[in-house]
Amino acid sequence: MLTKKQKRNNWILVIVLIAASLFFLFPVLWMLANSFKQDAAITRDMNSIRAFVPPALKGNFFDNYVKILTDTSFVRYMLNTLFYAAVLIILGVIVNGLAGYALAKIKFPFRERWLMIIMLLMIVPMETIITIHFLFIAKVGLLNTVIGYVLPMIVNPFNIFLFRQVFVSLPDDVYEAAQLDHCSPIKYFFTMVLPMSKSVVATVSVFTFLNVWNDYLWPSLVFTSGDLLTAQIGLNAITSNDNTTMGQKLAVITMITIPVIIIYSLFSKQIVEGVVSTGSKEG
Amino acid sequence: MMRKKSQSLLGMAFFGPALVLLTIFLFLPMILTLVFSFTDFFALNPGLTHFVGLDNFFQIFQDEEFRRAFLNTLCFVLIIVPLQGLGSLGLALLINKVTHCKKYFKVAFFLPVVMSLAVVSTLWIQIYSPEGILNAILENFGISAQPFINSASQALPSIAVMSAWQGVGYQMIIFLGGLQGINPALYEAADMDHATPWQKFKDITLPELKPLCIFVFITITIGAFRMLVQPMVMTGGGPSHSTYTMVYDIYETGTVNWEIGLASTMAIVFAVFVMILTVIQTIATRDKEEKDVDKKTKKK
Repeated sequence: MLTKKQKRNNWILVIVLIAASLFFLFPVLWMLANSFKQDAAITRDMNSIRAFVPPALKGNFFDNYVKILTDTSFVRYMLNTLFYAAVLIILGVIVNGLAGYALAKIKFPFRERWLMIIMLLMIVPMETIITIHFLFIAKVGLLNTVIGYVLPMIVNPFNIFLFRQVFVSLPDDVYEAAQLDHCSPIKYFFTMVLPMSKSVVATVSVFTFLNVWNDYLWPSLVFTSGDLLTAQIGLNAITSNDNTTMGQKLAVITMITIPVIIIYSLFSKQIVEGVVSTGSKEG
Repeated sequence: MMRKKSQSLLGMAFFGPALVLLTIFLFLPMILTLVFSFTDFFALNPGLTHFVGLDNFFQIFQDEEFRRAFLNTLCFVLIIVPLQGLGSLGLALLINKVTHCKKYFKVAFFLPVVMSLAVVSTLWIQIYSPEGILNAILENFGISAQPFINSASQALPSIAVMSAWQGVGYQMIIFLGGLQGINPALYEAADMDHATPWQKFKDITLPELKPLCIFVFITITIGAFRMLVQPMVMTGGGPSHSTYTMVYDIYETGTVNWEIGLASTMAIVFAVFVMILTVIQTIATRDKEEKDVDKKTKKK
C-alpha cells in the first residue's frame, strides 16, 4: 500500500517529468508547428507562445509541404533511398545470412578462426577505411552510380555474427530430414532456415534500413550530383538553396523523419531488444 | 571422408560471397591504410610515391590543423560523456520510478534518436540562429542573445549539447533495461532493514548497474570520437576550426585533398584510439555477459 505522502510524491514526479519532457522536446514541437507557417509568421511568432502553436487550418496550411513535393526533387530522393535500402536488405540478408549459416552449421576448414576474425572486424571503425573505399570506387569509375554506393555496404561483420548466433541454436534433425527429402542446401537455407529465423531477419533488415536512411558520409562521397542522391544528401541540397524558405526547410526535415518513425513504431520490439542486448546501432 | 570434403566445399560456397566482399572492402582497405600511412601517396600523382617511414606520424602531430582537430575531439568527448551519460542514467532512474505515463516518457525522450544526425543538425541551425527560438526563450529569462554556433568559443559546446540531446534517449533505454533486470528481492530486503532511498541507490542500484554504466559511458565516448556529420552540416568545421574533428580532418585530407598517405596516418591514429576503447569495453563488460548467460542456462 502506498502512503498518502508517497502518492503525492509520485504525482509531483509525474508533473516534473512532463514539464521536463516538454522542454526537452521544444525543438521538435517548434519544428512541427512552424513547418506549416510562412516565414513572416515564423518571425512574428518567435517571441510568444504562438511559436509552438500551428497556424489555423486554412487553404494554404500545407503550402510548404506542397512546394517541397512539387518544386524540388525531394520525392525522387526519398524513393531513391527506399530503393537502396531494399537492395541492401535483400543482398545483406543473403550474403551475411549465408556466411552466418556457414559459420554456425557447416564444418569447413578454419571455421573457428574465421569466426574469430569476423568478431575482430566488428571493432574496426568504418571511418578508418572510408578513404580507401572512396579511392577504390573512384578508380573503377563507379562514382555517382548505384553499384558504387551499394557494393561496399553489403557485407557487415556485425550482421554475420548476429545471424551466426541465431543459426547455431537451430535444431539439426530438421536438416537431416530435409536431406532425406533430397532438399539442396541452398533451397534448405531459403525455405527452412530463413523462415525459421524471422526475428533475426527482421532485426537485420530494420537496422539496415535505418543505417541506409540515416547515413551521411558515404552517400555524400559517392553521389556528387543529380538524380541519385539519398534523402539525407538531398536534404542538404534543398536547404542550401537560397530559394528555400525556413518553413519549407522545416517541412523537409519533418517529412524525412516520418518513414523512420513508422519503422520505429512497427518494429519497436526488435529495435529495443537490439538496443538493450547489443547497445550498438551502427553495427 | 567424402562427406567431410563436400562439407568444406559447401562451407566455402556459403561463406564465399561474404569472403570476397570482406577481402575487397575490409581486409584490403585495412592493409592499404596501414601501408599508405608510411608513404607520401598523393592520389592525383601516384607515380611520385615514396616510402617515408614514420615521417607522417611526426608530421600530423606538428600540423596545427590536426592538433586542433585532435584537441577538439577530446574536448567534445569531455563535454558530451558526462552530459549524455549522467543524463540518460538520471532519466532512466526517474522513469523507472514513475507510476503514470511511463510509455509517453519513454517515447518522448527517445524521439530525437529517431531523427538522423543530418536532420537534427539542420533543425538546430535554426534553433541556434541569432534570431532563433532558443535566443527568444532565453530572452524571456533575461539572458541576452548568444551567438552559439557562430562563435569560436561556443560552437563546440553548442554542438555537444545538441548531440547529447539527440542521443540521450538511446542510453536511457539501455539503462531502463538494466534497471528492470535488478532482482526486486534486493530492494525488499533493504526495505525490511529500513534503508533510505539514497542507501538503496548507493548500495543496490549503482553496484548492479556498474557493468552497464561502463558499457554506456564507453559507447558514448566512441560515438563522440567518430563525430563528423554535425560540424559538416552546421559549421563546416568553423568558426576558425573550432569544430574541426579528427574524422573531419581524415575526410578532408583523404577525399578532398587526395593526400591518401597523410589521411591514412590520421586514420590509423584514430583507429588505435577507438579500438583501445572498444577492447576496454569488451573486457569490462564480459563479466556481465557471462553472468547473463549463466542466468539463462539456469532458467532452462
